[in-house]
Amino acid sequence: MINQDFIRQSSGLNSGKITSSTIWRSVHTDPQLLVGISLLCAFGLLILWSASDSNEAEVQRQSLAMLVGLVVMFIVAQFNVHFVRSWAPTLYAGGIGLLGLVLFMGVEKNGARSWLDLPGLPSFQPSELMKFVVPMLLAWYLAGRPLPPRFKHILVAAIMILLPAALIIVQNDAGTALMVTMSGVFVVLLAGISWRLVIGGTVALLLASPAWFLFLAQEHQKNRILTFFNPYRDPTGAGYNIIQSQIAIGSGGIYGKGFENGAQSQLDFIPESNTDFILAVLAEEFGFLGVLFLICLYLCVFARAGYIAYTANDMFSRLLAGSITLTFFLYVFVNMAMVTGLLPVVGLPLPLISRGGTSIVTMFIGFGMLMSIATHGRQK
Amino acid sequence: MTGKWQLKDHEAERQIFNRRLIIAGVFIVLLFAALILKLVNLQFSQYEYFSARSDGNRLHSQYVAPARGLIFDRNGALLADNQPIFNLSVIREQVGDLDEMLNNLRTLIGLSDDEIEQFSIRLRRNRVPFSSVPIRFVLSEEDRSAIAVNGHRLPGLAIEPQFVRSYPLSALTAHSVGYVSEINREELDQMDETERQNYGGTNHIGKSGVERTYEGLLHGKVGYEIVEKNNRGQVMRELDRTDPVAGKNITLHIDAQLQIAAEQALGDFRGAIVAIEPATGGILAMVSKPGFDPNLFVTGISTKDYKLLVEDRINTPLFDRTTNPYPPGSTVKPFLGLSGLELGLVDYDYAIQDPGYFRLPGVAYRWGDYTLRTAIGGGHGHTNLQKAIYQSCDTFFYDLGNRMGIDAMHEYMSLFGFGQNFAVDIGYARTGVMPSRDWKQESRGEPWYPGDTINSSIGQGFMWATPLQLATAVAIIANKGVVVQPRLLRAVEDEPFVPEIRDPVPDIVLKDQDYWRYMEEAMTMVVHRPYSDTFRDYGTAYEAIAQADRTMPYRMAGKSGSAQVVGISQSILKSGDIVVSDLNKDHGLFISFAPAMHSEIAPQIAIAVIVENGEHGSSVAGPVAKRIIDEYLLNILQIDFATHPSNPNSLISQVND
Repeated sequence: MINQDFIRQSSGLNSGKITSSTIWRSVHTDPQLLVGISLLCAFGLLILWSASDSNEAEVQRQSLAMLVGLVVMFIVAQFNVHFVRSWAPTLYAGGIGLLGLVLFMGVEKNGARSWLDLPGLPSFQPSELMKFVVPMLLAWYLAGRPLPPRFKHILVAAIMILLPAALIIVQNDAGTALMVTMSGVFVVLLAGISWRLVIGGTVALLLASPAWFLFLAQEHQKNRILTFFNPYRDPTGAGYNIIQSQIAIGSGGIYGKGFENGAQSQLDFIPESNTDFILAVLAEEFGFLGVLFLICLYLCVFARAGYIAYTANDMFSRLLAGSITLTFFLYVFVNMAMVTGLLPVVGLPLPLISRGGTSIVTMFIGFGMLMSIATHGRQK
Repeated sequence: MTGKWQLKDHEAERQIFNRRLIIAGVFIVLLFAALILKLVNLQFSQYEYFSARSDGNRLHSQYVAPARGLIFDRNGALLADNQPIFNLSVIREQVGDLDEMLNNLRTLIGLSDDEIEQFSIRLRRNRVPFSSVPIRFVLSEEDRSAIAVNGHRLPGLAIEPQFVRSYPLSALTAHSVGYVSEINREELDQMDETERQNYGGTNHIGKSGVERTYEGLLHGKVGYEIVEKNNRGQVMRELDRTDPVAGKNITLHIDAQLQIAAEQALGDFRGAIVAIEPATGGILAMVSKPGFDPNLFVTGISTKDYKLLVEDRINTPLFDRTTNPYPPGSTVKPFLGLSGLELGLVDYDYAIQDPGYFRLPGVAYRWGDYTLRTAIGGGHGHTNLQKAIYQSCDTFFYDLGNRMGIDAMHEYMSLFGFGQNFAVDIGYARTGVMPSRDWKQESRGEPWYPGDTINSSIGQGFMWATPLQLATAVAIIANKGVVVQPRLLRAVEDEPFVPEIRDPVPDIVLKDQDYWRYMEEAMTMVVHRPYSDTFRDYGTAYEAIAQADRTMPYRMAGKSGSAQVVGISQSILKSGDIVVSDLNKDHGLFISFAPAMHSEIAPQIAIAVIVENGEHGSSVAGPVAKRIIDEYLLNILQIDFATHPSNPNSLISQVND
């Protein structure tokens, strides 16, 4: 009896009647992902506290952005992905429309003319939204066709990617254009595009890059590339950021100089120490172990996100979740690689760690979609 | 539509997607591995290197300048002081609109175009970011409050305190005390490494006079501090410090009161005065007039002001007249007379019959006595050495010099310092010229002619002597042969200064010590021998000194001289600023010591005066000397000559015999 009861009980657990997992599911929240994100946010606030020289206002504003992000994530998670899926073409068309609007009414901030100041709305960057809209549309498009995708479908997909990318390039925001492109490319890659095309495309890009460098690249882009190969060609100008950043990281050693004890960061030698170069602060004060810990946290989040993609019920959800996960990874990796000198300087924040409300909220929208996929998909 | 759906193999597609996802995961792990390798490279392998770089970034060893030693006169009055000044500086990186700010300053503190131009030059120079660039040195009290009140409207402006040299007597000590000014490239190049470090925190170095001579004493030793600076160069913390050692305070022999009196005694004339304390060789006063304001040089003289000083070719204020030579004229006669006595060429009884000129045997040319140029003409008649001194008889000395010859003249005059620099600590003083056969051969490539000797015996021709040399030489007579080498430094901190003299100048020991008294008497008669019925038998300076002040309570020994102006440059002759005839006038000279012929009180002051274009030594330079001696004996030393009367066996009675 007792044994049988237990079995019945446990089978009840699995069928999901009164367990905690059903509660989480009913509020469309993935607890593992939430824990990972929360840890990242907490760690991020800790580093920001030191990087901003104990600036309470900064940290409060960042916390607020995170709370807003959480709420946004929660709201997004409530929408069934299939609802989202049906709206994908409309959202894409709307997004392109907004990008077009930016061309005429855009407001310039930090060198990029990518902001829209519409009455009644907070100013925002339509290009940020395209990071989700593009993979959504591609996932919608490719999931509806036999996979691996045919060549003509890939051509259509390429147009879907390049149209918004081109509009964003015109806004002088190459970094975002790159991320939007990659978020779409990831969908195509995950959809099973043939390796021959992948390798061919990569080789073509590599061959084209010298031509881009010689004829198309802007002066500051050329500078960044040259500085990447030799930071000391202009140690007080273009090379200053990367040199100071490497000094900070290297002098942190294994264990770091201690919280709020990083000379490079506390004495303002690291430029952008609150935003793009915040990793240097972490590496200086918490050392190699601190960075390793952060990488582990990220890996946990990637793993959980990957698992969500892996176990998603339909191809649209899989492609979307996979693209969001890989785009998230790309942010993390490109930022870390640029701060350590592994890649040329690209102005990308370190997700959930760097200061900046827009970036935070954008990330949480992505997490919201992941949670939606994780919870709605399985209910079926 | 349904046909399409049927084409899809959901399981196969899932397989494709999952394989791709796993490959992506592998890529993620590989890329992170690369990142970790990079971190290992930075944080393990290059840890030492980057640690050092990080320390190099933030730790700065900076110099702490020592306070420069002060310079006092013999009574403790300040001759060189360190004054706090406030500079107005601009930190370019913190200024919004530079032009607007400069315009604000124009109205606020009256910033001139010149200052703005100088500032722009300084701004354009290579400089560290966030360093402050001075825009005005020495802010006045009002300017400072104006800046303070409007400070909120003027970001990037900073008022920075600094200690700089200040010379309270200004032009009065411009040449003797000298001045400090910004160290230049050349001076830095001449220093060795340790010296250069010692000047690390200092902008100024002694450029002339005492400031330069005693730079080593005055400068002190630089201190260090290790500070932590942030990216903007602001000092955040001081981590270590070695205090600087302040320079030594020094006391000079100069008496500020006498220095002031000497400058005033010259009146409107250009000229030079050197007064020496015969007992010590201490220089009591050293005036070159006109001077210049040495304070101008401390904070950097403007091109305009400097041009004014350099281009004043008549007054030549930058030219130190005390240490540059003039033809000494008749002031050399006492020294030549003593040499003649010592050599046995003359004695107390020896006399000539002076016709008013001198002729070398077999030479038609006549060397005239000045009396030849007077309306009466003629000569001095019967003239012995004393009369030759107090009447300044050239003929007597032509004869004496001729018989002495240039070799003996050079030998004996050198003992008095002619052609030499006896000064202990005035290395920059010129030596003048005491001509000799060798000198003429070397400098002119000509042999010595007998006529050259004749010119030299009245201090003309090739002979040149500085006021410092003349004062030194007359102090030797005052000391009866004891040579005291002139010096400016009296004490370092409170330790009396005992110079290390490598080759001490020997005292002059004459065969008969009475020669000194005899010459002192002759020189006293220059000032005090009154007019009498005898033709040309009075002291040349009697009228201007003793007769002008009959209540004079002491006697002074003196000798006048006049030096012909050798040449005036064409540019000066053309200038309309000055009456050219004035510049053609002879320079008047007077050497003197006092009190003379006093039974109780040894001579307290020996002095040389040169009055440029003063025409006559006796009537112009003589009274100047007397005013200075009056000031020193009566007002500074306050010797009561009533209780210390002169020798009752008085000179006047003697000379009245």
